[in-house]
Amino acid sequence: MDKILAKKDFPQWLKKLVGSHTVYAPLPEGDIWNYKVVSDSADVNLDFLTTTVPPKGIIFPQREVFLEFQTSSGEKDETIEVKEVLPEDRPVAVFGVRPCDGKSFFLQDKVFGGDFEDPYYWKRRNLTTLVGLACSTPPSPNCFCTSVGGSPHSKEGLDILLTDLGDHYFVESLTPKGDKLIGEAKTLFPQAKPKDKKEAAGIHAEAAKKLSRQIKNLDKVPDKLKGMFDSPFWDEEAMSCLRCGICTYLCPTCHCFDLNDEVASSSPLKGKRVRTWDTCQFPDYSMHSSGHNPRPNKASRLRQRMYHKFRYFVDIHKNYQCTGCGRCVSLCPVGIDIIKVLEKVRDYGS
Amino acid sequence: MAEEFEPKIVAFLCKWCSSAGSDLAGVSRMEYPANVVPIQVMCSGSVSPLYIFSAFNKGADGVLVSGCHPGDCHYIKGNFYARRRLALVKKLLEHIGLEPQRFQVSWVSAAEGTKYTQIIKDFVKELKPLGPQTKLRREAQ
Amino acid sequence: MTKIEEIKATAKKLLEEGKVKYIIGYEQGTNGWLSNPVFIKKPEDVERFVWDPSCVHNLAKFLVDEKRRKSREKQPDKRPVGVIVKGCDSRAVIVLLQEKFINREDVFLLGVSCEQGGVVDDKKLAKKLGKKNAKKIELGDKDNLIITTEEGKLEFPTTELLAERCLECKANVPLIFDVLVGDKTQRPQDKPFKSLEEIEKLSPEERWNFWREQIEKCVRCYACRSACPMCYCDECVVDSINLAVAPDTSAEEKALKIRWLDKSTEKSENFVYHLVRAIHLAGRCIDCGECERVCPLDIPLRLLNKKLEKEAKLLYDYEVGCDVNQPSLVSSFKDTDPEDFIR
Repeated sequence: MDKILAKKDFPQWLKKLVGSHTVYAPLPEGDIWNYKVVSDSADVNLDFLTTTVPPKGIIFPQREVFLEFQTSSGEKDETIEVKEVLPEDRPVAVFGVRPCDGKSFFLQDKVFGGDFEDPYYWKRRNLTTLVGLACSTPPSPNCFCTSVGGSPHSKEGLDILLTDLGDHYFVESLTPKGDKLIGEAKTLFPQAKPKDKKEAAGIHAEAAKKLSRQIKNLDKVPDKLKGMFDSPFWDEEAMSCLRCGICTYLCPTCHCFDLNDEVASSSPLKGKRVRTWDTCQFPDYSMHSSGHNPRPNKASRLRQRMYHKFRYFVDIHKNYQCTGCGRCVSLCPVGIDIIKVLEKVRDYGS
Repeated sequence: MAEEFEPKIVAFLCKWCSSAGSDLAGVSRMEYPANVVPIQVMCSGSVSPLYIFSAFNKGADGVLVSGCHPGDCHYIKGNFYARRRLALVKKLLEHIGLEPQRFQVSWVSAAEGTKYTQIIKDFVKELKPLGPQTKLRREAQ
Repeated sequence: MTKIEEIKATAKKLLEEGKVKYIIGYEQGTNGWLSNPVFIKKPEDVERFVWDPSCVHNLAKFLVDEKRRKSREKQPDKRPVGVIVKGCDSRAVIVLLQEKFINREDVFLLGVSCEQGGVVDDKKLAKKLGKKNAKKIELGDKDNLIITTEEGKLEFPTTELLAERCLECKANVPLIFDVLVGDKTQRPQDKPFKSLEEIEKLSPEERWNFWREQIEKCVRCYACRSACPMCYCDECVVDSINLAVAPDTSAEEKALKIRWLDKSTEKSENFVYHLVRAIHLAGRCIDCGECERVCPLDIPLRLLNKKLEKEAKLLYDYEVGCDVNQPSLVSSFKDTDPEDFIR
């Protein structure tokens, strides 16, 4: 059932949840916004454009402990105790998730699910309810969600979608988790009327037209890429790349990680196995232990990023691995623009 | 009764002067607090700022770097370079707000066993009220 | 001729005469930034160059890339690379020359001095414009800048938009160049090291709280390291493996390589990374501000490096990036170096 939530009642909803859930919402940090844990529900309003760090960090954290190990000297000999460290059982609610970031979870689910299910990711994913916020205007001048199969009101990956109707939100619950979260504060949610639904649909339709950047005929790109692997095109494009890693760290769909043992003491041996984010743009990402590096230069790494997102992922999962959020375009220090690169690929050789 | 806090000091001592000085203190049976973990380096000029930051990172409450007096360095110039480098490290650590008493530099010659014991005694006395160093230490495992 | 015309003409002549391999300059950006670095090889492409207060990047960084590229080629093109350098960029080139990382004949410098004495800080600009987006920056006549947005033109006094580092700039005119394009412009310098004043007034505890809050934000994307021209080590302290591995490196050598830092974004690890970077830049950082500009989390990194620049001046009377023949700060010493901090 579609519902309405008055904006002045929004902090009340959060207040009901803060006791039992860890609640994340976009909060200002200096001049930028980022998802932070909410302690005082009065601070939160959803009047933001977009966050710098995408919400992937809540379900796929920058640093995660997998297991702890330590040796203990028994009577006869030393044994190693290994203890798995799963995420804690507390449910999580994330507010203010833009549809592009919501879709990124839909794509990440394919990576961390499938034949092998990553228990750490899925524990968090199942405990988390994502409350989306539809875009009435493009949050970033570089948004291009409609070109990659998304939209300013897409529901994929989300559990609830809110649409801003001025002084109240139009609330659509999309999954049982969404129903449950709304149920925590049932009284704040009167039934929606047909005119509310119509108004929301109107906003959705208008929003899609306001996107200033689009890539036409993106579907030609995966095939075009097949013939371009050895082309000098990539050297040209990657000339100014700094291999800084910002594009991958702040991309909602990038998911590469590194596993390291952090040893606190060598004797007795005690430590943790930790997963951290990693990026294919660092030169030592693909370095073999023999010293050989199959991606020794920036051109090959930029090429890898394009291929992974627009060819390999399409072949395997039938989706572009990009949600069009525009963070990589806005934040690349030297202005390497993924939209321009894709347009050049599409038109290459013609 | 609560245990009194015993600061852990990591001391980088140059082999030719300061380490010999600390040995002299030991051989002469001079008493001084047992809070020091001595690490012998070839020259105070070979002490990289990384060692100092790493010592704090691994849990040292205080770090001491000690070398030969200027003009007496076994490698002629090593301690002159150390003088510059360690001054910059000290200023940087102060800038981020680490208590200035935690990082010290001294010149101790091979004959100055007494000076060495005095430096350690003073160091421990200054560190005790500050408590354990938590700012740069790796989180409890 | 206005500066941009002179830049294009000089660049065209250099490329036509084949004196340089390519020229690194600035071109019109797409919606991300207003201007971006560009690499021009053909004389007719010089029309792509732009020059305005949005040209903030430190192009000396690409000289490091060029050196790497040359070392990989079997028969490298030995001609120099042309670079457009502002005052701050020229100091970066001086430091690279001082350290003999590049040779003077490998680089051809087109020096340009910033009209109105600096470049625009994009965060200050975004604050002034609110939700509007800047499309173009032009120079006004009365020490002001004209910003074109999608809703028309707006004017602001230059000092309100200039980057903090430009207000303290010591080198409006490039200190080293092969060709100086355009006039020499000068802006009266604000008090040197003014940006440090506020933080130096705080007590140690307050300073710690300030830095802790900032450094905890760090996600270790290493953009600051990648953007810095002086961070040119092939094998950096923080990389988890030895980049200089060769086929004959033994397994034991690889296993015993010391790992100074963990990859995790714990507060302590982040601090050690930033402290190590700051100390490695002592006497080398010329305050181009790139590290702070590229940081996606807005960590005020300039304040860390600037402190050591100030101490270099106060304690050792050392000016960074001014004289090619000067030795580096930490590989030189004077008998009169202060030692009042030593027991």
